[in-house]
Amino acid sequence: MKNAGPEMQVDIGGLIIKNPVLTASGTFGYGSEYVPYLDITRLGAIIAKGVSLEPRAGNKPPRIMETPCGMLNAIGLENPGVHVFIKEKLPFLRQFSVPVIANVFGETIDDFKRVTELLSESKGVDGLEINISCPNVKKGGTIFGSDPDMALAVTREVKRLTDLPVIIKLTPNVTDICLIAETVEEGGADAVSLINTLTGMSVDIERRIPHLANVTGGLSGPAVKPIALRMVWQVAKRVKIPVIGIGGIMNASDALEFLIVGARAVQIGTANFINPSATTDIIDGIEDYLKRHNIDDINDLIGTFDEEGKAC
Amino acid sequence: MNGKIVRNEQISAGHFLLRVKLAESFKTPMPGQFVMMRDPGRIDPLLGRPFGVYGFERSQEEVTVEILYKVVGKGTLLLSKLREGDFVVVLGPYGRAFDTHPEAGKVVFICGGIGVAPITYLAEHYRSLTAARDAELICYYGASKAENLVGIKELKRICGRVITSTDDGSHGFQGLITERFSADISLYDTGSSKIYACGPRSMLKELSELMAGSSVFCQILMEERMACGVGACLGCTVLLKDGGGRGERARVCVDGPVFDIGDIHWG
Ligand SMILES: Cc1cc2nc3c(=O)[nH]c(=O)nc-3n(C[C@H](O)[C@H](O)[C@H](O)COP(=O)(O)OP(=O)(O)OC[C@H]3O[C@@H](n4cnc5c(N)ncnc54)[C@H](O)[C@@H]3O)c2cc1C
Ligand SMILES: Cc1cc2nc3c(=O)[nH]c(=O)nc-3n(C[C@H](O)[C@H](O)[C@H](O)COP(=O)(O)O)c2cc1C
Ligand code: FES
Repeated sequence: MKNAGPEMQVDIGGLIIKNPVLTASGTFGYGSEYVPYLDITRLGAIIAKGVSLEPRAGNKPPRIMETPCGMLNAIGLENPGVHVFIKEKLPFLRQFSVPVIANVFGETIDDFKRVTELLSESKGVDGLEINISCPNVKKGGTIFGSDPDMALAVTREVKRLTDLPVIIKLTPNVTDICLIAETVEEGGADAVSLINTLTGMSVDIERRIPHLANVTGGLSGPAVKPIALRMVWQVAKRVKIPVIGIGGIMNASDALEFLIVGARAVQIGTANFINPSATTDIIDGIEDYLKRHNIDDINDLIGTFDEEGKAC
Repeated sequence: MNGKIVRNEQISAGHFLLRVKLAESFKTPMPGQFVMMRDPGRIDPLLGRPFGVYGFERSQEEVTVEILYKVVGKGTLLLSKLREGDFVVVLGPYGRAFDTHPEAGKVVFICGGIGVAPITYLAEHYRSLTAARDAELICYYGASKAENLVGIKELKRICGRVITSTDDGSHGFQGLITERFSADISLYDTGSSKIYACGPRSMLKELSELMAGSSVFCQILMEERMACGVGACLGCTVLLKDGGGRGERARVCVDGPVFDIGDIHWG
């Protein structure tokens, strides 16, 4: 039996999820970390911490620094590698009836291909998010996300090797994010997610040294939201595939802004750090909003932005 | 969860004692565990700030947690401006607690500066743990000057001996507390001695040099900047020595903040 609430189900490129609220990669660990603090089965999907072919030690500390209404991170994609991910992290996540999306990182196209193959064969994940946008690693990272030819090549190769829905995660550190979005759509991407973090830095003036050992880091949190929203709005107008909005979403109102300008779903990142149940609070808040506006199906809200304010 | 401030008082220059009333469901923290605290009305500062537990009471009427903190930056300055009746978000208790030994003979606490806060909670725990026996509780406490030896009265109430040092010699030994401790180190070279320390990284590093090669039990509480506090962001990692047993890096928030002193790679 269906409960009386509004329909929250959305389709993100062939992956049907029960509501549009996902966790952003790198901010929710491998799920287990947050199990004591919220009911993770209520999530639309879980996107796990980025995984690479070989284990990575990540960057030296300090790796994080708070800045006004945001934070810089330079974790450097520390992860145990895809083999350990499949053997030790996935079985735990699979116990819960919630879709799991792996976030894939590579230094070369071959890395992306190999990780894609291994994850597809593992049968343990419901979708792939391809991270061509990490600003905190020396090799790979944004190179793939800022060069349209490279972005196209990665997308094509990955799509060739898997039947899983493929989401390409875009970097905001480019001149024209719409160009990259269109390119990966052409390459066969099932959806795009944006934004990854904005490259920034912070200086300790007493010692005249960077606050982060890596010097630069990725900015996330409320400080990036207006930029993320603008980019999601622009991209949603330019591509036909679903767009997943990310960046500074702290509460249901923030999430609704993204949905209204055209995001099919949203990812919650930094908000998890300050409120471990941010995601489920946001699901509740979106439902309340739909009820308040007498909207029976969330898909009737998505992309209904009245740009010229004619309704007023 | 939201907690209500019942006291937030300056106890010496730049040092505050905060007492927060919590819901009954808040778990009783073990010594060494910490809480993440933030002002729910603000997104700047955005992240919670970690604080060791200084005191905790659970009675029929209420549950309260006590934090002893030093103002060092934006977050702690704003915290010091909150008043009785204001709300703070308190998450936790988080992290790995100190291992305690009811059979211990001599229990030695070494603290530098505000490191006294979590050490006091541990010492209190030891006092009740060893109440029936004549275990010796000894504390070495160092600060820059006499007035910064905050909470010393409380420590004297709990420990049989409190030995102090100050940089300017205004109280106790003049010099570093690790220097003062090193003069006594042979007194504790037995299996029944247990050593615990919390303080600035430089102090802990020096202690690790003093303890190198020793088989005496020694645990320390480490501090790192944190974002999530639950092991998800990998922002708070420290490097471990080979054979640390928990892989190359450890997260201070969940694998710590308590570590065996020999496991840390000081770099
Ligand atoms: C497990 C743990 C227990 C702690 N217990 C206590 C306690 O009982 N009482 C207390 O006063 N403080 C404690 N701290 C330190 C406290 O978290 C920091 O002083 C606080 O986060 C500083 O916030 P701020 O915004 O005022 O400073 P900021 O403006 O962020 O920074 C000011 C200065 O403090 C340093 N700093 C920032 N964050 C930390 C941190 N997490 N640890 C150490 N130094 C930091 C910065 O490098 C900088 O030099 C503890 C830290 C940890 C990790
Ligand atoms: C500590 C941290 C680690 C991150 N790790 C990853 C990662 O491994 N892969 C990835 O694609 N994005 C990673 N991100 C980026 C987030 O998924 C997200 O795109 C970004 O933080 C913006 O969203 P927010 O403002 O809601 O945090 C990370 C972000 C943070 C703060
Ligand atoms: S603070 Fe996030 S992993 Fe420790």
